[in-house]
Amino acid sequence: MNNNQIEKIIPVFSAAFALIYIVSVEMNWALFTYHPKIKQWGWLVEPARDGPPMYWYGWLVTSTLGAAAASVIALPLLKNRPTPYWLGWVVPLLVILSVFYLFRDWFLR
Amino acid sequence: MSTFLLILHGLLAVALLGSITHQAVAVVWPARSKAGFVNAYRSVSSRAYVNANIVLFLVVASLGGYIYPIYRVWVRTYMENARLFPAVGSFEIKEQFIAIGLGMLPLYWLVWRRPDPASASARTAVTLMFCFIVWFAFIVGHILNNIRGFFGL
Repeated sequence: MNNNQIEKIIPVFSAAFALIYIVSVEMNWALFTYHPKIKQWGWLVEPARDGPPMYWYGWLVTSTLGAAAASVIALPLLKNRPTPYWLGWVVPLLVILSVFYLFRDWFLR
Repeated sequence: MSTFLLILHGLLAVALLGSITHQAVAVVWPARSKAGFVNAYRSVSSRAYVNANIVLFLVVASLGGYIYPIYRVWVRTYMENARLFPAVGSFEIKEQFIAIGLGMLPLYWLVWRRPDPASASARTAVTLMFCFIVWFAFIVGHILNNIRGFFGL
């Protein structure tokens, strides 16, 4: 992969990362779970063992791998097109706005 | 040790806050003259901040991720018992924003790498989004760090 190709897929990576991340949060697609109280790790989504489980690290890894895969898949589509810079910030911006909506319950209790 | 890391996390966040704000102001409100404090603040070279912002964002996010389990086990449980749900929700939002920011770091690097007119709007948008994320995370972190004082608990 040359510099030009990497340049073209970076906006796709950012967009895919934000999108996959928010879906991972909503669907709980964590690649692994951390149990902080007992300092143990587990594969995929695990229920609480002792104390609350943490999925954030797992969501980050799911999103990174998913976005990397989406970027590679998008590469042939971008071959004769300009770098879609807009994609890399418009999608994350929409995801940021959606976060306020998705987490509104905390403020309505 | 965790107290030291939390303070370090906060101090580096202050540095990042200053750096990204300086860059964002210079992007949206540039000035050629350096006469006076405001003009001098606006007339900095925005590009000079990019690498520092990337490194600081990574270090602050990593430190936050490292000390996060302490928050999850002890602080969040405490706040939920105290029914401080908006505070918990604010941290949840902060956590998502930081993650989205991490995913945007490569784009931030790319749009600042060279002065390409095609990426000018993306450069402004990404910088402002990072500025918003950092400010939001800083304020939420600061409030939660002092939550007992804020709510007289």
